Amino acid sequence: MIRALVMTHGQIGTELVRVVEMILGPIEGLDASSNSGLSAEDITSQVEAWLAPVVGDEQEAPERAPTLILVDDYGGSCAHAAQLACGDRPDSAVLSGVNLAMLLGFVTWRDSSDFNDLVHRLVQKGREAITIVGNR
Amino acid sequence: MAVVLARIDDRLIHGQVTVGWSRQLNPDRLLLANNAIAADPWQSRVYASSVPPEISVSVLSIAETVAFLADPDQVEQRVLLLTGSPGEMAELVRIGMAVDRINVGGMHFGAGKLEMLPFVYVDQQDLLALGRLLTMGTTLSAQQVPGGREYLLGADQISDMEARF
Repeated sequence: MIRALVMTHGQIGTELVRVVEMILGPIEGLDASSNSGLSAEDITSQVEAWLAPVVGDEQEAPERAPTLILVDDYGGSCAHAAQLACGDRPDSAVLSGVNLAMLLGFVTWRDSSDFNDLVHRLVQKGREAITIVGNR
Repeated sequence: MAVVLARIDDRLIHGQVTVGWSRQLNPDRLLLANNAIAADPWQSRVYASSVPPEISVSVLSIAETVAFLADPDQVEQRVLLLTGSPGEMAELVRIGMAVDRINVGGMHFGAGKLEMLPFVYVDQQDLLALGRLLTMGTTLSAQQVPGGREYLLGADQISDMEARF
């Protein structure tokens, strides 16, 4: 199962995940964290801890579930930490500009999509959601 | 070459710098002085990729930074200089970087650090380096974002903090 972490400034991520669960019910493997009060190093450690396989899940190792990290700000401390922690692993991706449409898309498509397709589909979905409402 | 802001910020290149201060100061170049990152092409690329296209970016070692700033060919540039710690900033000044004022921008909580200001946490090593910066004649101005409250840090504040360890 593809896991996702929504990592943002303040409580944006926590609230986005809460709203997704309000709409779709409890979601396994969708987590939130914040950079509040943390140095760059500690934000990176926080991501590394999230990426590490869950203790007691050793039978699944070394095959780690693919991971997606969604951040609010391109070029911010969350984006850097996510990139540094993920390195160039092909089974992880970092997306910026997280919005509600992307998260709803993630939950809807994660079981039926190839990881790379999912990543591109979510970026497209997120962009499509930014529009002039009513097409004026 | 004019250093328009010399900032200590342990998040290095991030929104407060690329959006906040850059909008206020219009630097031509953002210069990150950090030995470990300068030696690692992957990390350098991660940090450099987040700088807006109209601002040039360099990731250099401490020694390279001082040489770069002294290069007469670079004389027209407005540089926003960043280090991750007061120790690195003190080293830059010690080996010859000319700067009057240091912006103490963000030093987050970590193990063994005490709060000096809501956005400045220090250990004894940090205090030593801040003290050295004062001794070398720089002004220490703690301010997180443009328009935010500015606190001047003097020898008294530093020795008060030292007494708390």
